[in-house]
Amino acid sequence: MTTDEDTTAMTHDTVRAETPIQRVTLIRRLVARQELTLILVLLVVGVAATLRNSAFGTSDNLVEVIRAAVVTFIVACPLTLVTIGGGFDFSVGSVFTLGGVTAAYLMTHNIIWPLAVLLGLALGGAVGVLNALIIGRLRVPPIITTLGTFYFMGGVVILFTGGIDISPLPTQFNSLGTGSVLGVPNVISVGVLVGIVYHLVLEHTRFGYNVRALGGNRLAATENGIAVNRLDVMLYVGAGALAAFAGIVYTARTGSGQVSAGGSSVTLTAISAVLIGGTSLFGGLGTITGTALGAILFAEIDNALAVSGIDALYSNMIIGAILVLAVAADSLRRGRMFSIRR
Amino acid sequence: MSAQTPTPRALSLAGAAKSFGHVHALYQADLSVSAGEVLGIVGDNGAGKSTLLKILAGLYRPDAGEVRVNGEAVEFASPLDARAHGIATVYQDLALVECLDIATNLHLGDLPRRHGLVDRKKMERDAERVLTDLNVRLGSVRTPVGMLSGGQRQIIAISRAVRLDRAKTILLDEPTAALGVQERGHVGGIIAELRDRGKAVVIICHDLEFVFSVCDSVTVMRLGRTVATRSVANTDRDEVIGLITGARTDTAA
Repeated sequence: MTTDEDTTAMTHDTVRAETPIQRVTLIRRLVARQELTLILVLLVVGVAATLRNSAFGTSDNLVEVIRAAVVTFIVACPLTLVTIGGGFDFSVGSVFTLGGVTAAYLMTHNIIWPLAVLLGLALGGAVGVLNALIIGRLRVPPIITTLGTFYFMGGVVILFTGGIDISPLPTQFNSLGTGSVLGVPNVISVGVLVGIVYHLVLEHTRFGYNVRALGGNRLAATENGIAVNRLDVMLYVGAGALAAFAGIVYTARTGSGQVSAGGSSVTLTAISAVLIGGTSLFGGLGTITGTALGAILFAEIDNALAVSGIDALYSNMIIGAILVLAVAADSLRRGRMFSIRR
Repeated sequence: MSAQTPTPRALSLAGAAKSFGHVHALYQADLSVSAGEVLGIVGDNGAGKSTLLKILAGLYRPDAGEVRVNGEAVEFASPLDARAHGIATVYQDLALVECLDIATNLHLGDLPRRHGLVDRKKMERDAERVLTDLNVRLGSVRTPVGMLSGGQRQIIAISRAVRLDRAKTILLDEPTAALGVQERGHVGGIIAELRDRGKAVVIICHDLEFVFSVCDSVTVMRLGRTVATRSVANTDRDEVIGLITGARTDTAA
């Protein structure tokens, strides 16, 4: 009995004295994030490609890399938020096609292009609502739900167009997609704008914080009074609308509503960019800057192989390897950060 | 130990009963706790401890009996109602988000804003103040909760309950479950801190050693009834175990 009292008295003293934990140093923070590694990989690939063919390093070619990355990035931004929020959206590729084709169809049927664009976005958002409802009400896991809508919407596009691309589109609309301001292509400006908005939303608004809480621990978020179901709807609507928007941007750049644009390649590229950028498939962790680097890496590797005269076949193998490594890094990071220390 | 003033008890429950269909979870429960007092509730599994806690937290409405806050009869329609009366509850799951830092976790569901954006500076300042107030030193408030130990998480959850609800009474559900010896000491420290600040604390706890080290008094439950209340100074482990198992019955009041 007395020994019991002695030990408890002692532990009481230690409480007040100090409760030590490992401090988070700046270096630990940097290592804990994927961005630094990604920048390094980007540089290595860039230098290697330039050594093989100096054409890679020209500013024209680099702009081309960014331009290719931007379309993926616009889809990947909202997808980053969905994934951080603990969800998943496979349907974005089909919604990309649906948005582009719908806007193009409306433009060729006497609807002024700004309205056609808005209706295309609205349709994309509607698919997002559908996804959120199926996930929330029918309790179908996000990956299955959105795989289902991916196939379904892909079918809708074919049914709707008969498999034929839609053109010609209004020149004013096309010139927005191909034009540039002060030497910066419009497509890139739009992508940067989307990125800045999403970064601000994720890092500095209540919505962004709540999304992290949602993906980090859904039950805890609920217990703290966060409206989790409403957040789900907003996330999927964002993903749908932005996927449609990316499809419309692509349509403006190419000058026609293409049935074969988008689909699984857009979905897979966007998801890979998100994951390579350090966003955790398990929710809670991730950044827009990481996603941007992931999207650029994708485009860079494609481009570097092309200018180096290496078969594009290798591109898929390299991307596959990088994807697995990136997710392995995420697992390690989580294991290191979140193991209970006693 | 308990305040010897004539002021009404911070929280009391009299003659509470609760059944779920044919299952009587609670027949007759009475307890009271004063400001600046730590009350432990002990009892075997199924004795009605958690039903009792959920009534006090506003999660269940009792079939009979009366809850009083500062001597005033109240009825809680919901947990929010109980919160509004200054009663904060920390459940066993703690409701923390591991990937978010301490400051954010302390403000979850109620993030401060400035010009429409989250005011991180204010959040971190408030978090530091709350923790300093409770004499807790955990390093940087930017540390993700996932990097903390079980006891430190418990402390964060308690701090949040105190902060968000400006609580006068704190209910803790098994605060030492799955904690090591040193960790239990840490949690005991913050409970002592709450008492020093004049809070009333009710702890549901299996761990008798912990109860004897941090509580001022202990109420024993058995088969849906509160069978005895003792001042910790005037009882010992053997008597309490006897009351829990029913080997000893409370004859003297």
